[in-house]
Amino acid sequence: MSVPTDRSQPVRIPLTQLRRGQRAIVDCSELTDLPEGDRCLLHAMGMHHECEVRVCRPGTPCIVQIDSTRLGISGEVARKILVTPIEDSPGKPGAPERRA
Amino acid sequence: MNASATATGAGDSAGIPRIAVLGNPNTGKTTLFNRLCGMRARTANFPGSTVEGRIGTHRAPDGRVELQLVDLPGTYSLSIDVPEARVCRDCLSGSLDGIEPNAMLVVVDATNLRRNLQFAAQVLLHRHPAVIALNMWDVARTRTSRVDPAELARRLGCPVVAVSGRTGEGLAALDVALDTVTNLPFGSDALIARLQKLPPAETTPAALAAWSDGVVRAATTETASIDESRDALIDRIDAALTHPLLGIGIFLAIMAALFAAIFLVASVPMDLIDFLFGRVAEGVRAALPHGILADLLADGVLCGIGGVLVFLPQICLLFFLVSLLEDSGYLARAAFAVDRVMRRFGLSGLSFVPLLSSHACALPGIMSTRLIRDDRERLATILVAPFMSCSARLPVYVLLIGILSIGKPAWFAGVAFAGCYALGAAAGLLSALIARRTILRGPARALVLELPPYRIPSIRNAALVTWDRANVFIRNAGTTILAISIVMWWLSAFPRVDGDARLQQAQSFAGRIGETLQPVFAPLGFDSQLTVGVMTSFMAREVFVSTMGVLAGAGRGADTGDQRVLEQVAGMARTDGTPVFDPATSAAALVFFVLAMQCLPTLAVTRRETGSWKWPALQFGWMTVVAYSAALITHAAVSMTLGVH
Repeated sequence: MSVPTDRSQPVRIPLTQLRRGQRAIVDCSELTDLPEGDRCLLHAMGMHHECEVRVCRPGTPCIVQIDSTRLGISGEVARKILVTPIEDSPGKPGAPERRA
Repeated sequence: MNASATATGAGDSAGIPRIAVLGNPNTGKTTLFNRLCGMRARTANFPGSTVEGRIGTHRAPDGRVELQLVDLPGTYSLSIDVPEARVCRDCLSGSLDGIEPNAMLVVVDATNLRRNLQFAAQVLLHRHPAVIALNMWDVARTRTSRVDPAELARRLGCPVVAVSGRTGEGLAALDVALDTVTNLPFGSDALIARLQKLPPAETTPAALAAWSDGVVRAATTETASIDESRDALIDRIDAALTHPLLGIGIFLAIMAALFAAIFLVASVPMDLIDFLFGRVAEGVRAALPHGILADLLADGVLCGIGGVLVFLPQICLLFFLVSLLEDSGYLARAAFAVDRVMRRFGLSGLSFVPLLSSHACALPGIMSTRLIRDDRERLATILVAPFMSCSARLPVYVLLIGILSIGKPAWFAGVAFAGCYALGAAAGLLSALIARRTILRGPARALVLELPPYRIPSIRNAALVTWDRANVFIRNAGTTILAISIVMWWLSAFPRVDGDARLQQAQSFAGRIGETLQPVFAPLGFDSQLTVGVMTSFMAREVFVSTMGVLAGAGRGADTGDQRVLEQVAGMARTDGTPVFDPATSAAALVFFVLAMQCLPTLAVTRRETGSWKWPALQFGWMTVVAYSAALITHAAVSMTLGVH
């Protein structure tokens, strides 16, 4: 997936495109593709709108850390979670999705 | 829970205050419960649900405080639509039959306050008196931020006690707090004032998170900068354990070590149990006059229960070791690693633990499917769990592979054993795929799984889990399995025939049923004797070995440890003088036993877990058809290969 270049808009990419160690802010406003149950579970597990995540294992499936919680997320869910990379975190946004 | 379902109102029937214990998964809730109740707890189902919980009694060391604790299932939220959350909601609203609490003990992980407080807020909106247990305090002390329990208590409007379920730290203070709140009336002014400190019930997840963030900021102070090297190390370990190739390789190695430990270590207590039941049966025969009562006690009751309890050491070891693996944080990583493989068969990583447990015994395996959130995936896992080669199949494998290996090189038996396990697993996964493409159609639920922190597992906790599971197994052996054993004994022992054991078997109801059904098994090469063996093993497959031993004239109490039994069974002849166990028939019988559903307790548990007889009927029918077809193909293929017609 290509990365938007319009600097007036925040750069939003799928969670699966983050690099190991990279941090990002989650945008849950467009999780409508996910079943209601999965969406509610993600919220309850700590992945709410504008929370900060750190990628522990990139690709599909991926492992992310929210505070001290680590979540394993399958590719089909992770691809639907859009995030805005935090600029000073390690890794580069927009890298090709790694299929582990 | 069933045991307390007759109690009405708050507290138990003896007037002891009842405390509902709630919390997110992986907060150490059960460890704290075990610390408080020790062996004074039991596992049972909550009424009207398949969710399992525990109920126990806690007595403070000074004897002043006595409480009944109800360990409710861990859930991430009260508002999500999963059985665990429903049970918690029902308990707090008083609609869970007979389990109305006087107060709540909310267990929160002190190292993960932000998320845990969101759940705590949902719970505290219920107007029961409450205590917050700030658990894992020993770990939290080593972290970069320090929580102030007093400030947290002020913000939440209820007592907050720093504790450690692992070390026992803070339990005296927890006793005092629980004693105080259980004396508060439901809906008192203090409790109503608490509600004003909490976000309203209809708050959005983001607003709830913001409220929690505010409370955490107010109640914690940063004491050091974040240690990123620790996170990087855990990242590397996670990457290895969840790697699609390396992770599965590590998983297979751990499982091989686990099963080797189970079979090696358990053999000594298993032999001891076998020996003890044999001696007691001999004693009963010697003490009682020859007749029906002695036969019933020795052959029906003692042989029946002993034949099942002999597997108790293996089951205990399995639960102990799996509990250690779970406590260490590894099991969730293993489920994550195999998720990709399981998805090809319509299952997910959540099905992995039940199928793994089924290799020891399908009963705990089927019960552990309660972890699976998707109902269709759970049903598919229940249906195929008995395909996994359980420990009860082992004596049959030993006998039949022993017969097949006569005159073969030493490696043959090892390959045949591995082949049996592989055949069972492959049949289970393929059956799951068929079920998920037909009657249980639907994609595998996407995996979202919490990977708990790595910890040194608690031996005490694993021992308590094992004790609890062993109790359930023994209760089952004393009820369902005892009843089956007596029925089987009656079918084998009546009508009474004067003569040897072989004649008795042939003329008994079981024998006559075998004779009548022999034409059905004739295409597999089974004669009437082998048919009797197969028929008697439909209740419990391990019965096959003793039945064949009796039919071969090897006498009662035969087992595969006796080489003479193997030789006598291998030498059994049909009425035309040809061997019963020719290579094609032996191979067909082995395949049949790998795949057939021959365990009544498993069918009973499937009925209980699915709430319908439809599913155990389907399970039995499908496995029997698969076993019969595979055995038929095996018999034809081996016969053709060896040029036998």
